[in-house]
Amino acid sequence: MRLNSIEELRELRRSLAEAPAPERRLWVCGGPGCLASGALDVFRAVEAACREEGFSDGVRFRADLSGCLGLCERGPLVEVEPEGWLYGGVKPGDARELVRETLAGGRFVERLAADPKCREKDSIAFYLPQKRLIMGRFGRTRPESLTDYLAAGGYSALELALSELGPEEAFRRVELSGLRGRGGGGFPAGRKWRALKEARGRPRYLIANGDEGDPGAFMNRALMEGDPLSVIEGMTIGAFAMGAEEGFVYVRHEYPLSVERLNGCVKAAEDMGLLGSRILGLDFGFRLRIVEGGGAFVCGESTALTASIEGREGQPRVKYVRTTEAGLWEKPTLLQNVESWANVPMIVKNGPDWFRETGSAENPGTKVFSLVGKVRRTGLVELPLGSSVGSLVNGAGGGVPKGRRFKAVQSGGPSGGCLPESALELPLDFDALAGAGAMMGSGGLIVMDDLSCLVDTARYFTAFLSGESCGKCAPCREGLPVILEVLTDMTEGRARVGDTDFLESQARMLAATALCGLGKSAANPVLSTLRYFREEYLEHEGGFCRSGRCSGMYLPVVDGKACRACGACQKACPAGAVEGSGKEPRRVAADKCVTCGACLAACSFEAVKARRRPEGGPDARTA
Amino acid sequence: MPGQLETPRPGNGRGPGAPPASPQPEPPRSATPLLVEGTVNGIRISVPKGTTLLRAARLCGVEIPTLCHHEGLPPEGSCRLCVAEIRGQLAVSCMFPLRDDGFKALTDTPAVMDARRYVLSLLINRAPKAPRIRKLADEYGVAPDPRFMKDPDGCVRCGRCVRACRANGPEAIALAGRGFGRSVTGPFRKPPEACIGCLACALCCPTGKITFAEKDGARRIWDREFSLAPCPECGARVFTAEQIAFYGGSASAACPSCRKKLMASELKKAAAYEAPDGLPLP
Repeated sequence: MRLNSIEELRELRRSLAEAPAPERRLWVCGGPGCLASGALDVFRAVEAACREEGFSDGVRFRADLSGCLGLCERGPLVEVEPEGWLYGGVKPGDARELVRETLAGGRFVERLAADPKCREKDSIAFYLPQKRLIMGRFGRTRPESLTDYLAAGGYSALELALSELGPEEAFRRVELSGLRGRGGGGFPAGRKWRALKEARGRPRYLIANGDEGDPGAFMNRALMEGDPLSVIEGMTIGAFAMGAEEGFVYVRHEYPLSVERLNGCVKAAEDMGLLGSRILGLDFGFRLRIVEGGGAFVCGESTALTASIEGREGQPRVKYVRTTEAGLWEKPTLLQNVESWANVPMIVKNGPDWFRETGSAENPGTKVFSLVGKVRRTGLVELPLGSSVGSLVNGAGGGVPKGRRFKAVQSGGPSGGCLPESALELPLDFDALAGAGAMMGSGGLIVMDDLSCLVDTARYFTAFLSGESCGKCAPCREGLPVILEVLTDMTEGRARVGDTDFLESQARMLAATALCGLGKSAANPVLSTLRYFREEYLEHEGGFCRSGRCSGMYLPVVDGKACRACGACQKACPAGAVEGSGKEPRRVAADKCVTCGACLAACSFEAVKARRRPEGGPDARTA
Repeated sequence: MPGQLETPRPGNGRGPGAPPASPQPEPPRSATPLLVEGTVNGIRISVPKGTTLLRAARLCGVEIPTLCHHEGLPPEGSCRLCVAEIRGQLAVSCMFPLRDDGFKALTDTPAVMDARRYVLSLLINRAPKAPRIRKLADEYGVAPDPRFMKDPDGCVRCGRCVRACRANGPEAIALAGRGFGRSVTGPFRKPPEACIGCLACALCCPTGKITFAEKDGARRIWDREFSLAPCPECGARVFTAEQIAFYGGSASAACPSCRKKLMASELKKAAAYEAPDGLPLP
């Protein structure tokens, strides 16, 4: 069916609203985390159970795969509509019970509750501080279904822009909203939009950056898989407001489901006359193509990304001319993160004042964070900008698991920074995080506990960045391996006196001289950990790792007073180095210990501690 | 409603599946040719708008060291040696376009010197024997450091050879791989089949990493052998047969000095030519 006018779109929406809704639905979470923990098998089993019970027509009772429900820790998740119950850790074997008891019977299955304390998703602590706008349709629509999207209010923003607002007003709403780029830099979207609007030259291109590559981050993936049409609608509105002819969504090759869903949605929107030429029968056309990246981290950088779309090697170029002046094929180009685009329909539909009600003055709106690491509840969390880091880590995340202590939170991906405990007070916004030496990045947060060594963390991220450096400019290509070499020496007990200061000067020079944003920020893991955890660097220089992470650089010592003789460390030790039995406190035999750290991790009472080796110095590792 | 659209929107003619639009002519940016005026190290200079900072500095007689820059090739800005300070920030002078009046560039501030020293300290570990790198390193007081000398293969990855090969047409070699392992090579790390043995890569290499040998009318470069065709005039062997074929035939097969002589005699003939009445001079 092709819609040939705005009136036909309204008519279709009316008929969708009048269609009878199923009495009860099961939404099996199809987000990245749940799919990885077996949600697809659960869904197939639920489908089979529905067939058995005779609900396969989907009229009265339905089961569908939804977008990411967020609480990945407890996946695979199943949400029940309309009750709003949330089940967690569901297995295919639970399917029949779910279908009979809950779907048909309307009864809650206690043993499958996602949270032992409450049934309803919205009252679970993980969801309390959240405001789900970007993820608002997750769990309410089938991600790849255009009719579901329309029924849930999708394309009403484009409809409003085309019928009443006109391009000027649509543009004005985005400009006044104060939306800032969600890709990491936080550049005001309005300024970018104006630059493109006033740029000379045709055609003009729009790009959505979906090349999410940070380790541990998956919010863009969840968006492209969970509500791809919001990105497509946002870009279509952008094309209308700024006068662009063609757009590209650049998605990394490692996200095959994102590519599949985006392609499917583009096709569906084109068939319905919501994309392509003569949209809704009007003299306005916008073509959108999905481009798969080859998997280089640097292709998330805007100039490397445009080179990749052009079919050239994905490498950044020196950027003294803005992309809005000369970008893709040297034509005016506007590039934004997929999450920025997904904000556009909401802003255009509800107006800038509505958007500014959420978040803080300089940082309006919400942001999706992927919370991973040493917290009780990991997953995707959408918070108003300006909420505190603590509300994310300790509120939604539930804090560090019992028996361990919070040490640092790494924000902004590999080129972000590590912040200490004092940062829990900081507001989550672009400026505060950058001021503290980290960055928002695309919204990845990794929580670390006292067993994480910050020098080793810096080494890990430097190794990642060094491997992902494109090798074009000398500082990044040659300078990162120098930093990596020093960090490796430090974590393996070969550090030299003065290495800490040397690292700092190398990192500063790298930041000052590298060509692209990736290279300039590649020094951040070192600079931010040096800023807050310099002591640990100096200890490593002297051959000691207080976290018990760097092998050979400490000795586990049991605190006799704190030890409760539970024997956990003894069980964990692979070398038989823990001595003692019965109710007596355990001891570690230094000569047998291989410093693997297993006893430290096993102890729930902070009784096993990493101490400086008596012989001191790095030579200890050969002993 | 369509009536509310303020500007006509081109681009609808292209149906789905069409290739990206071919570049359309752009309206001229400015009708008047503009000069911008400013200073480099305090020396006043006025240059056409868009001139690079490096060119302006050289016009002032201010020397800025470069490695990846070559006057005959498109700039790349990758070696980061030519940095200078402008508006309080480091800029790569070989690519920084001077677009505003009143620019104040400084090429010898402590920040600039630190940056150059840093870059040279990294490159000297790659090409510790290259005379040009050694000379620069000496000038800036930088020495090789065995701790970080992991692969001193003599190449600084400036890419001049690759850009020269592309500019000349064959595009036989490229930088392949990424990060520290990036290096200049033929496709699939094999001797480049498209190479015509023209030597452009070797002649513009700043470190002398690309070597070649000539013996018995043959030239070896990139692990390939080329036969040198004799000049039809004097018999000197300058061009490879592949090179002559690549640029289309035998007319240009004469060696450069013979070609000069041939051109001079052609010019003489033309000067001596007396046109019959009523015919225009050729």
